Amino acid sequence: MSLSLHLSSGRWPRLLVAFLLSTALTGCGGDEIKVYRVPKEKATEVAVQAGALPEGHPEIGGLAQPRLVWKKPEGWNEAKASEMRVASFNVKTADGKQADVSIIPLPGTAGGDATNVNRWRGQVGLASLSPEELKKTAEAVEIAGQRAELYDLSGQAPSTGEAARILGVIQHRDGTAWFFKMTGGEALVAAEKPRFVEFLKSLQFQVAEAQPQLPPAHPPISGTATAAPTASSLDGKPTWQVPAGWREIPGGEFLVAKFTIAGEGGAQAAVNVSMSGGDGGGLLANVNRWRVQQLGLPAWYDADLKKETRSMEIEGGKAVLVELSGTDARTGQLARLVGVVVPRTGQTWFYKLMGDPKVVAGHKDEFARFVQTVKY
Amino acid sequence: MLNRLVKIFTSLRLTVVLLAFGIVLVFVGTVAQADEGLYQAQFRYFKHWLVWGITFFGHRLPVALPGGYLLGTLLLINLVAAHVQRFEWGWKKLGIQLAHTGVILLLVGQLATDLLSHETVLRFLEGETKSYSESPRGYELALVSDAAADLEEVVAIPGRLMTKGAEFKHANLPFTVRVADAWRNSEISFRAPMQEHAAPLTTNGVARHFDFHHAADTSSMDEKDIPTAILEFVTPERSLGTWVASGWSGDRETIANVREGYRRRAGPQMADSIAEKLAASQAITVAGKVFSFALRPGRVYYRFSLTLLNATHSVYAGTDIPKDFRSRVRLQNPQTGEDREVEIYMNSPLRYGGLTFYQYQMDAGETVASAGRVPSSALQVVRNPGWLTPYAGCFIVALGLGIQFMTHLVGFVSRKRA
Repeated sequence: MSLSLHLSSGRWPRLLVAFLLSTALTGCGGDEIKVYRVPKEKATEVAVQAGALPEGHPEIGGLAQPRLVWKKPEGWNEAKASEMRVASFNVKTADGKQADVSIIPLPGTAGGDATNVNRWRGQVGLASLSPEELKKTAEAVEIAGQRAELYDLSGQAPSTGEAARILGVIQHRDGTAWFFKMTGGEALVAAEKPRFVEFLKSLQFQVAEAQPQLPPAHPPISGTATAAPTASSLDGKPTWQVPAGWREIPGGEFLVAKFTIAGEGGAQAAVNVSMSGGDGGGLLANVNRWRVQQLGLPAWYDADLKKETRSMEIEGGKAVLVELSGTDARTGQLARLVGVVVPRTGQTWFYKLMGDPKVVAGHKDEFARFVQTVKY
Repeated sequence: MLNRLVKIFTSLRLTVVLLAFGIVLVFVGTVAQADEGLYQAQFRYFKHWLVWGITFFGHRLPVALPGGYLLGTLLLINLVAAHVQRFEWGWKKLGIQLAHTGVILLLVGQLATDLLSHETVLRFLEGETKSYSESPRGYELALVSDAAADLEEVVAIPGRLMTKGAEFKHANLPFTVRVADAWRNSEISFRAPMQEHAAPLTTNGVARHFDFHHAADTSSMDEKDIPTAILEFVTPERSLGTWVASGWSGDRETIANVREGYRRRAGPQMADSIAEKLAASQAITVAGKVFSFALRPGRVYYRFSLTLLNATHSVYAGTDIPKDFRSRVRLQNPQTGEDREVEIYMNSPLRYGGLTFYQYQMDAGETVASAGRVPSSALQVVRNPGWLTPYAGCFIVALGLGIQFMTHLVGFVSRKRA
C-alpha cells in the first residue's frame, strides 16, 4: 500500500509567499529602539582598577631595567620570558617532575615583602605570618653585592594536595623590587636549592646596557617615543611656530603632534613630537629604539652615545641631538633620522624628523630651529 | 508557467547548481577574509542575500554572487519542494524520507541559529555584581534617565542605525537625536595644550579634552571597530548643542586600555587623569530631567544577577603553563528567590534562564596579584534556542540512512536465500 501526495499547483504560491514573508520578517529583528528599566548603576566602575595599585606605586614597565647576566646551572632550561618575567627557566627530571624559576622586577616595594611572602605561603598551604615573624624565617643571601632575603617555604599545594616547595627571594635594588622564585614539587626543589643559590650568586646587573627594546608587555605604539603631557605641561602651555610647508596630521593616541613634509617626486618625511614622564626610559634606550627597531641598525653602548651625539642650545637649557641613517623598518627604503631629546624637570620631550634622506637633509636646520622655538 | 516554476524548484539540477554556487561562495568568502576581516567577510558573503563586488586575493572584482541567505533559502525550498512533490508513503521509502527530513531540519536549524542566537560577554571584577552582558562588537547609544529612586530608564538606539543624517524620535524622549556624522571606526588623541590651535569637534563634553578622527574599518580579528558619532539634540524649541558620543568613552575596557597606554609613558597620575576625563558622564537637561548618554557596547539584561566571588587561574606545578581558569559566582534571582554559588570552568558552563555562560577570558593569578590588580573574569554568554536542532537533524539523518541500508540489506539477503 502506498500513499502519494501531490499538491495542486494552486497551493504553491501561497506556500512560497508565506515562507519568504516569515523569513524576511524574522530577518529584520534586532534593529529597533529598545526601552527598558533597570536598577541604577554605580558610577564607581571605572575607578575600581585605577585604585588597584598600592598608594604611591610607581608606574609598571616605564622604567629602564638593568640587564641581567647569569650563569645557568647545569640541568636548567631557559624558557621564554612571558608576561612580566625578564627571565624564566625550568628544571625537568626523568620521571616527569618539573620546577619553574622566574625573575620578575616590579617598581617600588610592589605591595610590600610581607604581602608577597604571605601570598607564596598560601600557595603551599601555609598560614600567613606577621612581618616580624616573617623576618625570622628569612635566610640571608647575596645577589650582586647586595643583601637579599630567601624564604624557603614547604607545604602542600591546596589545589593538588601534593607536597610543594617554594624558594622565594626578594631584593630591593635602586627603587625596584626583584623577585626570584623557584616553584615545584617538594623533593625536586629541595634537591635544586644549592643550584638555585649558586644561580643567585652568579647574577649581575649591567646598568650601562639599558634595554634597547620596549618592555615585553608594552602596547604597540606608532611613531617614536610616545606620551601624553603631564600636569606641568598642561599648566605651562608650551607653544611653537610650525615652519611653512609642514602639514599637521592626527598623530594617534600617544603622540603630542605629528607633521608631514613633502619633498620632490612624492618623497616624504615626518616630524613626531612626544613626551614622557621622568627620563622616558633614558637616552640610550630611546636612541637604540630608533636605531634597532626603526632603522635596523645595531644598538649603541654608552660610549657610542657620548661619541656620536651632540649638544644643542635650546630655550632655557640644552638638548641632545642625534643623526642616524639606515633602512626604514616599515617601508624598506633608505631613511635618515634626526632626533632631539629635551630633558626637562620631571619629563622628557622627544622630537624626531625621519623619512627620505634628501627631504630630511633639506629640512634639518628648519627642524632644529623649530625645536629651539618651543616655549614650555 | 506555474508548472514550469514547480518543475524548476523540484529539479535535481537546481540542487547541483546551488551546491556549485555554494562551493564558489565558501571559497571566495574564505579568501576574502584575509582582506576584509573575518567578521566583515562573514557578514557580507554569508549573511546577505546578494554579494555585490568581491575581494579576491587583494583585487576588488565587480562580480555579483548569490549570498549565503539566498543559497540556503533556495536549497531549502528546493529540498522541501522536491520532498513534497515526490512524497510517497511506504515502509520502503521511510529511510529516504527520514534522511531528507533530517537535512531539512539541519537547514532550518541553521537559519534559526543565525537569526535567533546571540553571543555576548560578561566581564566583571572580583566582588562585582552584574545583571547584563555586552555585545563583543555591536554598540548602542544609550540615553539614560531616572525612573524611580533605584531605577533608571534606558532608551537604546542600535549603533548600526547611527548613520550620517539619521534622526531619532521616541515617545520616551522629549527631544530628537540628529546624527551630524558617524564613523564606524575611529581614533582618539588627547588634546594636549600644544594641539589646541585646531578647533575641537564640539565644545561640549568629552570633545573638549579629546580629538576623534575617522579611521578605516579594521580587518584584524584581534581588533574591533570603535565607533564615534557627532550628535545634535533638538527640542521643538531649540537645539541642546552638538556632542560627541564615542565607543572610546563608553566602554570600561577601552578606557582601561587607553589608561594603560598612558600609564607607561606619562605615569599613573596623568593616566588616571586622562582616563577620568574620558570616562566622565555626558548629559543634557530637558525640562528639569537629566538624560545622560553614551555610545556603549550593546547590552542584554537578565532577570537575575551574577556576582564574581573568585577568579582562579592555576598553573601546572613547577611551570607557568595554564592549568585551569575557574570563576566562582553567586547566582541571585529575586523572582524565584534563588541564591546559590556556581563554579564555571572549561567544559562546565552554567546553563540558566535560556542562556549558557562559558568561561571565556581571565585576568587573575600570580602576575595580577603581584601587579596589585583586582582579578577579573569574562564569561561568554550564548543564547541559542536552536542549539538542539543539529543534534536532532543528524540523528534523524543517521536513522534514515540506517533504515534505508537495512531495508536493502534485508531485501537482498531474503532474495538470495530464496
